[in-house]
Amino acid sequence: MTSGKAVRIAVLFEPGKKAQPVWFELNHRQHRIKESTYHWQDLVGERQLLFYAVTDGESLFELVFDPADQSWTIHSQCAE
Amino acid sequence: MSDQRTIMHLDMNAFFASVEQQANSELRGKPIAVIGSGGRTVITTASYEARAFGVKTGMATWEARRCCPQIILVVGDNRKYTYTSRRIMEMMNDYTPQVEVFSIDEAFLDIGGSLSIFGTPERIAYLLKARILHSFGLKCSIGIAPNKLLAKLASDMQKPDGLTIIRPEDVNRTMERLPVGELCGIGRKMQRHLALMSIYTCGELGRCDPERLTKKFGVVGRRLKEMGQGVDTTPVQPADEDDAVKSVGHSMTLRQDVSRRDDILKYLLQLSEMVGRRARRYAVSGKTITLHIRFADFYSNIGKQDTLGTAVCLSEDIYRAAVAILDALELNQPIRQLGIKLSNLQHGAGQLPLFPEERRKTEAVRAMDMVNNRYGDFTVTFGTLLASEEKGSHVISPAWRPEGIRSVQVR
Repeated sequence: MTSGKAVRIAVLFEPGKKAQPVWFELNHRQHRIKESTYHWQDLVGERQLLFYAVTDGESLFELVFDPADQSWTIHSQCAE
Repeated sequence: MSDQRTIMHLDMNAFFASVEQQANSELRGKPIAVIGSGGRTVITTASYEARAFGVKTGMATWEARRCCPQIILVVGDNRKYTYTSRRIMEMMNDYTPQVEVFSIDEAFLDIGGSLSIFGTPERIAYLLKARILHSFGLKCSIGIAPNKLLAKLASDMQKPDGLTIIRPEDVNRTMERLPVGELCGIGRKMQRHLALMSIYTCGELGRCDPERLTKKFGVVGRRLKEMGQGVDTTPVQPADEDDAVKSVGHSMTLRQDVSRRDDILKYLLQLSEMVGRRARRYAVSGKTITLHIRFADFYSNIGKQDTLGTAVCLSEDIYRAAVAILDALELNQPIRQLGIKLSNLQHGAGQLPLFPEERRKTEAVRAMDMVNNRYGDFTVTFGTLLASEEKGSHVISPAWRPEGIRSVQVR
């Protein structure tokens, strides 16, 4: 389980669509995203956080985008 | 049937479990159940695959495992569900402003005024189903009928992913042999009372002498007869037309049973802060404080209230009143669940106190609220709560609504 760790990430922004994470790096390993399975948002105080449940085919990850500081963090990871 | 309205009832199928199955593709098609984050929680929702084994909402986890040994228990993430629910309710508002949110996964829509724009009720139903499926991969059951009672009945008739229409001319035939227990609002107890009167079907209930029903059930008797006839004149009430909120409350099941006064007080302070924060956010204060306690045996509980001389909304005042109620009680068992409710509400901003000390206290609370509004609940809080692991609401109450004072921020 990993929580709140900042990640290096590639995200595809397409007009009219929600952001699509393509890959991210965790512990010097690149995880290519096979499927973005779910998306939701949460309000923490005034901060609107965007959550993405993604899978690389091996594990399920929860990536969090904070628009306030443009940061991506990994919220949790569980083996499928 | 005098009412010729077109009412739709939309019910998300196994909502929490379906969301988890969408979020984790490995769970799809498998028997799963969503449980709370506490260690001794019950089944919140089971997937249809688990329901096939007899797993039901409210079962203890060991019971669920006995029914279905291969069941996968998933700790629920309330933020996913409240966000998804909000978005689905927004979609409904695209078809009519007459949307009444019934719970986090159910709503009534009066689509009578929208038919000239969108065509038939079936078309609106299919459009909504398609949008929900496309956006979230979730399925729902929809019932369409001339009133709310029948629309809810219709949506229950075909699950999952159903669309059932009860047309005005079909009402009598539908009701005739329908067991009374199928109607929303007739529970097991009422069913037993009706059975003692030899009333088993809606047809029998609808034909029953109203005086006989009134004699047995009082003012509800007449309403019961109408229900048996499939008559319901209650309007679809959008949130802004809904009745004013009558109380603000929070409760929590404790991680383990507590009996030490200090431990109980910590939970009471946390609950008081949650109630006070929400009351202040929506500018309400209340005179009556109710403390509710469920004991370790699960079945014993007690609720005591006290009415103060003035309406309060500061957490400290709510806490003090709750502690006074607690101290007047004799606790014979450890406590499993605690709840605090503020009622007898006054709406509108409170008056700034006259005396300097009271004024300073109010200003301090206001400053705390501003910080917490900006950075999140419990960012600044009472020192005794700093060590508490799980602060905030972890339960979506049946009264939860996507907007307003009933929109509780859950974790």
